[in-house]
Amino acid sequence: MTQSSLPNPNTLLPLELVDKCIGSRIHIIMKNDKEMVGTLQGFDDFVNMLLDDVTEYESTPEGRKITKLDQILLNGNNIAMLVPGGEMPGESYDG
Amino acid sequence: MASKEGGEKSKGSQVTGDNKEKRRKESILDLSKYLEKSIRVKFAGGREAAGILKGYDPLLNLVLDNTTEFLRDPDDPYKLLDDTRALGLVVCRGTSVVLICPMDGMEAIPNPFINQEG
Repeated sequence: MTQSSLPNPNTLLPLELVDKCIGSRIHIIMKNDKEMVGTLQGFDDFVNMLLDDVTEYESTPEGRKITKLDQILLNGNNIAMLVPGGEMPGESYDG
Repeated sequence: MASKEGGEKSKGSQVTGDNKEKRRKESILDLSKYLEKSIRVKFAGGREAAGILKGYDPLLNLVLDNTTEFLRDPDDPYKLLDDTRALGLVVCRGTSVVLICPMDGMEAIPNPFINQEG
């Protein structure tokens, strides 16, 4: 059996890292100029994501647009990066 | 004779069956050589990021540490600014990764394709 393409037990599996993040804040960066920050409730094989208490950031030429949403199902089709624990870089923390 | 042909046929299908098994597990890119190294990743849609490869899976999802994202000009999405932002530990979705290359052994060069006028 070919082992070369399989990670050895020392490497970190990406979806395991996402799984560890369930229950905490996560920052999702889409392929376009949208980003979402929310609490991760769960995800599926396609990395569609269920997020709570979401803030949506859109970088447009006019400047950043922010919307707030309650609970959303985010389609995994357009996700580029996931940042566990992340609030938006550059935003200040409260407390 | 009929039984011999039957035997050969089943052997043939076993061989292709094994080949299919082997092909499914083999990736054309072995990322283990990039582990703990700094790599640059480009995404469909134009985003670019660089970080230290900490993990991956056969679907090309990646775990990068100390990640910086390279920001683009808002007026011209194809133009990279010198500006970057630090993202820390990130997971990159394999479905939108289009390019992976090592930072070591890569450099930016002036555009060789600019047409000379006159």
